Amino acid sequence: MKRKMLFLLMLVLMIAAALPATAQDMAMPDFIQHTECEVDLTGQTIPIYHFGDLSGSYAFITQPLLAGLSDAIKYYNEHGGICGATLKSDVGTEYRDTGGNREETQAAYDYFSTLADKPDLVVLYASGDAELLRTQVEEDEIPALISAGSVAGLYGEDAQTPGWIYASNPLYADQIGSFCKFVSENPDRYPDPVIGYISWPGAFGEAAYTAETIAYCASLGVTITGTPEYFLPTATDISTNVQNLVDAGANILYTNSLASGPAIVAKTVVDLGLEDSVQIAGVNWVLDTSVGLLGRTTLGSDGLPAVNGLVGSMPFHWWTERQVPGIAFINEQAAANERQLSTQNIAYLLGFGIVDTYTELYIQTVNRVGSLEAVTGADLKQTIESVSYSPLGLYTFDYQGGEVRAVPDNRIAQMAFLNKTMNGPATSGEDALTVDLPDGTKAFIPLIIPLTEFAAAPDLRPGGADVPAS
Amino acid sequence: MATFFEQNKRYLIWMGYILLAVVLLLWLGPLIGEKRPSRWVQTTITGLLTGGIYALIALGIVIINKASGVFNFAHGWMMLLGGFIFYSFFSSGQVSLLAAVLLSSVTVIMVMTMGSWRDLLQPRTALITLAAIIILILLMSLPGTEWKFVRAIAGGVTGAMLLGLVVERFTVRPLIGQPLFAMVLMTLAIGRLLQGFIQLTWGSVETPLQIFTTPEGTSLPTIKLDSLQELLGGVAIIQPGLLISFVLALLAFVGFVLFFRFTNVGLAMRASAENQRLAQAVGLRVRVILAAAWAIAALLATVGGVLQGGATNLSVNMPLLALLAFPAVLLGGLESISGALVGGLVIGFVQEWTNLLFPGTQAHVELAPYVLLMIVLVIRPDGLFGEKRIERI
Repeated sequence: MKRKMLFLLMLVLMIAAALPATAQDMAMPDFIQHTECEVDLTGQTIPIYHFGDLSGSYAFITQPLLAGLSDAIKYYNEHGGICGATLKSDVGTEYRDTGGNREETQAAYDYFSTLADKPDLVVLYASGDAELLRTQVEEDEIPALISAGSVAGLYGEDAQTPGWIYASNPLYADQIGSFCKFVSENPDRYPDPVIGYISWPGAFGEAAYTAETIAYCASLGVTITGTPEYFLPTATDISTNVQNLVDAGANILYTNSLASGPAIVAKTVVDLGLEDSVQIAGVNWVLDTSVGLLGRTTLGSDGLPAVNGLVGSMPFHWWTERQVPGIAFINEQAAANERQLSTQNIAYLLGFGIVDTYTELYIQTVNRVGSLEAVTGADLKQTIESVSYSPLGLYTFDYQGGEVRAVPDNRIAQMAFLNKTMNGPATSGEDALTVDLPDGTKAFIPLIIPLTEFAAAPDLRPGGADVPAS
Repeated sequence: MATFFEQNKRYLIWMGYILLAVVLLLWLGPLIGEKRPSRWVQTTITGLLTGGIYALIALGIVIINKASGVFNFAHGWMMLLGGFIFYSFFSSGQVSLLAAVLLSSVTVIMVMTMGSWRDLLQPRTALITLAAIIILILLMSLPGTEWKFVRAIAGGVTGAMLLGLVVERFTVRPLIGQPLFAMVLMTLAIGRLLQGFIQLTWGSVETPLQIFTTPEGTSLPTIKLDSLQELLGGVAIIQPGLLISFVLALLAFVGFVLFFRFTNVGLAMRASAENQRLAQAVGLRVRVILAAAWAIAALLATVGGVLQGGATNLSVNMPLLALLAFPAVLLGGLESISGALVGGLVIGFVQEWTNLLFPGTQAHVELAPYVLLMIVLVIRPDGLFGEKRIERI
C-alpha cells in the first residue's frame, strides 16, 4: 500500500512538473496579445464561413488564402483555439467556390444565410460580391470581412452609408489617390505625370477610375487620361489598349487587375519598346508573388522580369519584413507546412490575419455577452466598431466610431527581385537569384520594397474629405 | 409604288447596302484619319493574328458540326483539358512510366477499334497496335527538358485523341439517331464534366505554359517592324505566339479543305452530317466517321488550348474564348471550313479596329462581333460561306 502511494505521488509530481512545459508549448507566441478569455468555450466550435472565386480569375490570389486559412486554423486550434473552442472551415460546409459567378455567389450566400445556425460573421473575397450582398448582409445582420474596396460595396451607391462589410485595405479609389500623391511628391521621378488607366472590366477593375480620383489627382498636378481601357483576363494581345493610352499622352499605366493582368501589361510595354518611357503601377494586388511568377519569362533590357520596378499600394507588411514578429512567425508556418513560393503571397498572410482577427473578435464578444450561443452578428458588429487591433502586426483593424468601412492606412512600394547574395534587390538578370523550373524557365524571387511610410490614404469617396471642391 | 418596289427589289436592297456603307465610311473616316498609320498597321496585324486563334477554335467546332450536325458547347473545355495534358508532359522532367503505358495503350486500342473490337483479332492490326503503343511510350518517356516538346506533343496528341474518342464512344454514340437537341445538351453536360475533372486534377490556379520561350527560358523576342517605323510614324510589332497560331490556323485550313474535298473519310463525314440514318443505309460506317470527327476536333481543341495557354496562361477563363469564337462560326457558316477561317479572321479584325476607333469602351468585345454577325445573317442567313438549305415539306 505504501509503495503504491509512493508510486502515485511520484506520478502526480511528474505530471505537475510536465504541465508548465506543455502549457508553454500550447501557448501562443508572446507577440500575439489577445484579450483574456472570461468564458471557457472548450468543446464548442466556431466556423469561419467564406465563399468566393476560388477557381476563376482570382484563383491565383484566393487559393493561397485558403492555404493561409487552413494553416492558421490548424495552428490556432493546436494552441488552444478561441478560449478552448475549435475553429473550423471545411469545403462545402463552411466555404464554397463561386467561380466568380454572380449567381453562384448568391446561391452560396443563400445557403449559408439560411442555415439553422446562421453565420455570425463571414469572409468575402471580391468587390463584386460585396456590391451584390451589401444590402442582404445588412438585412440578415451578418457582418462581413473582406480585402477589397469598391465604394459601392462598402458605402453604398450614395457613398455615404456604411454597411456591414469591413475591408482590411484602403478603398481602391483611395489607393490611386495615394499613388497620385506619391507621384506628385516625386517630380524628379515623374516630371510630367499622365496616368492611363488600364484594367479588367467589372466592379474590381473599374473601382478606381472615378470622377473624384481624376479630380484629386488633377489637383496634385497628375493627369488621368479621359478614357480608361479595359481588357478581359483571356486577352492574348493588349497592344491596342496600351497604345490607345500612350497616344492619349500616358506615361504611367495604372492597373486595377491582379495575377496575369499586370503581367500582360508589363509584357506589352516591353514588347512595344516603351519600358524606358512608361511606368507601370497599380492597386495593392499588383505587388504580389503571383505577378512576379506569371511575368517571369518576359524580360526587360536589364535582364530582369518586365514587372521589375512596378509601383503600387502595399497596405500590409510583406514577407521580407521579418522584423515584424507576425511576419517572421508566418514565414516559419509556411516553411513548416512546406508551402511553395506561389502560395507565399499576400493572401496567405491575410489568411493568418483573418483567423487572428476572428479570435480577438470572438473573445471580446463572448466576454461581453456571456456565451458563444448568445453571440449574434449585431454583437460582433458592435465589437468590430469598438476595437483597435493589429492582427499579427500585419495591418490595422480599426473601425472605431462606426463611420469607416475601409482601413485607410497605406504606403507605396515597388516590386524588385532578390539578388544572388540574398541581401537586397538584383540590379540585373545576372545579379538575380533564380530557381530552375521543370518547364525550362527560371523563377525570380519577388521582393517588395516600401517607398513610403504608412500614412492615411486620401478619402476619395464621392463627398469624401479629400475630394476637391468642383 | 408597290409594283415598282417588287420589280426593283434586288437593286433597291443593294442600294440600301451601299448607302449604309457610305454612312459608315463617313462616320468612321474621320476617326481613322486621327490615328497614325502605324496604329492602322498594328491594329490590322493584331486583329488578324488574334483572329487566327478564333479561326482554330471555330474550325474545331465546324468539324463536329460537319460530321454530326451538332454545335459543340464543350469545345472550350476540351481546349483547356488538351492544354493541361500537354502541360503535364511539358513541365515534368520525366513522366511516370505507368501513366505513359496506360495513356498510349488505351488510346491506340481505342483508335484501332473505332469500328469494332474484333478488328484487334487480325494479326496485322494487332502488330500495328503494339508498335504504335511502344513508339508512343518511348516518346512520352523521354527524360529531361531538352525533350520536353517531343514528350509534350506525343502526350498532347495522344491525350487529345483519347479525349475525343471517349467523348464520342460514351456520350455521343448512344445518341446516334436521336434528336439533335439531345446531343447539343449532351455537349453542355460534357463541358461541365470536363470542368470538374480539370479543377480536381490540376486545380484552379492560372498555370503558365511556357512554349513560346527561347532555350534560355525567356520569351521569344517580339518581331519589330523597325524598317517601316519612319514610313508609319511609329512602331509596329508582331507577337511570335500569335504569328505561330495564325500560321497553324492557315495550315489546318488548307489541310481540312483538302481532307473534306478529296478523301473518302472527309466525303463520308459530309454525307453523315446530312443524314446519319441514310449514310448508314448506304454502307457508311457512321460510328467510325463520328469517332474520327471527335478525335480530330479534340486535336484541334488541344492545339488551340496549347497556343492560347502559351499566349496567356492555362486558366478556367479559357473556355470563354470559345464563346468569342461562336460568332466566327456563325459568321462563316456552320458547316464551312473556309467560313471558319474567314469568320475567325474577320471577328479578330473587327474587334481590334473597334478597340482602336472607340477606345475606352467594351464595344470591341461585347458589341462589335455581334453587330457584325447580325448584319451578315440578315444579308446571308446561312453565313458568309454556309450552304443554302432547301427542305421539302
